[in-house]
Amino acid sequence: MIYLQMLFTFFKIGLFSFGGGYAILAMIQQEVVVKNAWLTEAEFVQVVAISQMTPGPIAINAATFIGYQKAGIPGSLLCTLGVILPSLIIMLLITISYLKLRNQKWFQMVFKRLRLLSIGLIAAALIMILGHAVESIFSIIIFALCFIATWRFKLNPFTMLIVSALAGIFFGSA
Amino acid sequence: MLLQIFLSFLKIGAFTIGGAYAMIPLIKKEVCETRAWISEDDFLNGLAAAQSCPGPIAVNISIYTGYHVKGYPGMLMAVLGSILPSTISIILIAMLFNQYADQILVRKAFSALRPAVVALIAVPLIQMAQKSGLNQKNAWFPFVIAILVGTLNISPVYLILLTIVFAVWESHR
Repeated sequence: MIYLQMLFTFFKIGLFSFGGGYAILAMIQQEVVVKNAWLTEAEFVQVVAISQMTPGPIAINAATFIGYQKAGIPGSLLCTLGVILPSLIIMLLITISYLKLRNQKWFQMVFKRLRLLSIGLIAAALIMILGHAVESIFSIIIFALCFIATWRFKLNPFTMLIVSALAGIFFGSA
Repeated sequence: MLLQIFLSFLKIGAFTIGGAYAMIPLIKKEVCETRAWISEDDFLNGLAAAQSCPGPIAVNISIYTGYHVKGYPGMLMAVLGSILPSTISIILIAMLFNQYADQILVRKAFSALRPAVVALIAVPLIQMAQKSGLNQKNAWFPFVIAILVGTLNISPVYLILLTIVFAVWESHR
């Protein structure tokens, strides 16, 4: 039962996330943390950190990790399958019909609106994790430094997360 | 040919960290230049489609390119190649993580990783906002969505369906 529910939940996540990895993370948070309570906000933030430090698409990493935590290797494979299944169906249809559809006014309008909506969803994800992630002077300093390093100096996420982990080991609290 | 599609995407999946935006330039180089399977124009059209389609962008572009090069089998090989390194490395990490999650060093590392992750989501959010044509007239829309979902816990699914219906209606007015 839990297997079916996981497959269905991640199918829904794949189907309703527009705008790639970060939009998918927002959707995962909605379904996995808010709705099903499979993870706490703090665990969700851990999943995001690990997903960004591992090779490959962030959404696939997050789906595999959550699936493994919930139900071992079968769980990880089902969640991964669930999240890519809508892509396999919809992207294939779009690949076949895209050249016809992309000049249609309604098609352009739908995606223009959905892109704006995705921004709102990612902002919502930020609002929800903020309280669990930035809660001490130390974490405010780390947040500010990471923000500046990514925004101004375009430091890549992997290097940044490794440096942050080291900073946590030396200066953070358990 | 099929094996080569699989290997090309496997290589890209294994050596890019940080999601789709790190993978796209490598995919483009591999399929448009190194292998010359697809023209740059076709690739860019596919990329636009991959970004508008729901789901992971890297998977979507793999589907497009794989199908373009060798039909359904090509599509499956490309998708498998691009997700296999992820799946294998994450399963290994998850196994280790469960053993060490309670260690003091791991907990200390995460005390800094948590705020770092917030910054790593905040920056692309601002960049996406700049690229998506956000202006004073339409900024209320993502703002209201963020409030509805972020504080009132309204499911995004209904908001997405409403948005699609509204956008279709809007374009037929």
